[in-house]
Amino acid sequence: MPSSRVGAVRASSITDPRRADQESRPAVPPALRVSGFTKTYAGGFTAVEGLDLEVPDGAFFGLLGPNGAGKTTLIGSVCNLVRPTAGRIEIFGHEHTTREARRLVGLAEQDINLDRFMNVEEVLVYHAGYFGIGRARAQARARELMEVFDLSGKARVRPPALSGGMRRRLLFARALMHSPRLLILDEPTAGVDVELRTELWEYTRRLHEVGTTILLTTHYLEEAEALCQEIGLIREGRIIARDSADGLRARYGARDIAEVYLRAMAQKPVAEERA
Amino acid sequence: MSSHVTDPAAVVAARDAGDRCAGHLPPPAAYDEPFAEERRGLLWLCEREIVRFLKLWVQTIVAPVISSLLFIVVFGMALGDRIADVDGVPYDQFIVPGLVVQAILTAAYSNNSSTLFQARSDRFLNDVLSSPLRWWEVNIGVAIGGVVRGLLTGIVLLACAVVMTGVSIEQPLVLVVATALILVAFAQLGVIAGIYAKSWDFMAFVTTLVILPLSFLGGIFYSVDRLPEGWQVVSHLNPIFYLVQAFREGFSGTSDVPIGLSLAVVAVLAVVLSGWCAWLFRTGHRLKP
Repeated sequence: MPSSRVGAVRASSITDPRRADQESRPAVPPALRVSGFTKTYAGGFTAVEGLDLEVPDGAFFGLLGPNGAGKTTLIGSVCNLVRPTAGRIEIFGHEHTTREARRLVGLAEQDINLDRFMNVEEVLVYHAGYFGIGRARAQARARELMEVFDLSGKARVRPPALSGGMRRRLLFARALMHSPRLLILDEPTAGVDVELRTELWEYTRRLHEVGTTILLTTHYLEEAEALCQEIGLIREGRIIARDSADGLRARYGARDIAEVYLRAMAQKPVAEERA
Repeated sequence: MSSHVTDPAAVVAARDAGDRCAGHLPPPAAYDEPFAEERRGLLWLCEREIVRFLKLWVQTIVAPVISSLLFIVVFGMALGDRIADVDGVPYDQFIVPGLVVQAILTAAYSNNSSTLFQARSDRFLNDVLSSPLRWWEVNIGVAIGGVVRGLLTGIVLLACAVVMTGVSIEQPLVLVVATALILVAFAQLGVIAGIYAKSWDFMAFVTTLVILPLSFLGGIFYSVDRLPEGWQVVSHLNPIFYLVQAFREGFSGTSDVPIGLSLAVVAVLAVVLSGWCAWLFRTGHRLKP
């Protein structure tokens, strides 16, 4: 994706009158506030230690880091799927395990985790149901999203019979069923073709434009650079840098975000730096 | 180039023209409103669990009913003529309560153990665990599938058995109470197995080497009074023995132990297993790392 296109999207966001309207309203609590978050697994492995992170309402925040850096642990904890060992997680000011917090978060996981017993429409409708949405509204929303994601023709098909791209689209649609205010995308374009990836990017941009806060993890560095207003680099369970793509390039004296990433990850281990 | 995701530009334009709720890009949910449900998430989860096993009705309802009916045909009707009445009850009718108990508890157990293990294994349980459903709602929602499946299996089997053997129900209230307790106990046991299981083999192991032998040794086909004294003592250590006795009391009005003792044992089993389940869901033990 050429960077000029990214610039155009950002410019439109900045001049968007809705943004100005949002700025004049009372301050909204951060979409995500993580304080002193530590997770030590049963075997004694500490994936994340003392992590602090704040993502403002309306942000498009990317989280980059190698495998094992703690991204999935952090996302799992935010989504109530991992039990934090210590620390506090708040979603729009609500403690993360509360129902008020849960209804505000949508998650599209990296792995395809779709209910194999239900068909496409049922996957969407039941998901909405778990969020307390009534049947008529859930069915209408499911039809809407099936149309958006080109799944209407597969409404009665179960996930195992779908192609990989269709499953990825269904996963994305499911995360949007309850219109979350904070959408977490954990490597949403892993394993999809270039065409679908571009379409998902475009759709994600539109979601962001209407005010959805987006937390994206990805191994595709150009994806983070193209989409995110701000990028956080995570290593060994700690945020070692966060800034816009331009800011990171300047900070690391790098030509592109890939070089930023390599330089940041090649620095001394966090433990040594602390010593 | 075919597009998989509809261009939302038209929808955005409609929204910008004043209709903020146009199409599939509604404004994000308000962050400061209390959580409210149009329809309880618990009801949706219950419905999902029931729909799941009904989609597989041949495997989940028909197969166990036929399996139990074969026992009635072979042991009760074909060989029953060669066996004297047991406590004044014709043999084909004598074995019905035990077979109904076995069918109910196996259905409740296997439904919940398999639905939960599959959901864990494929990780679509995350869809439920990350939702606003409370821990006790998830517990009830998952357990209800086994309860309804066990109940349906028992009703269909009983209806067939009444036609085939003419068995009657002497104490319906006892039968209702015993059925409710058995369903709770084994629905929860299934949930526990589904949470602890690391493979499908584990659940097959529990069914084949724990539930089935205990059922057969629990007096389905015989009265323990006819066993040697040592085996009678062993039978009294088997919890399924008390389930069978409670059912037999409901059907024929007779059993090998007082009905109060039978119901008490089943009730204790139900309470202990429910407590265990509640602890697992409340703490997230084995469900959330």
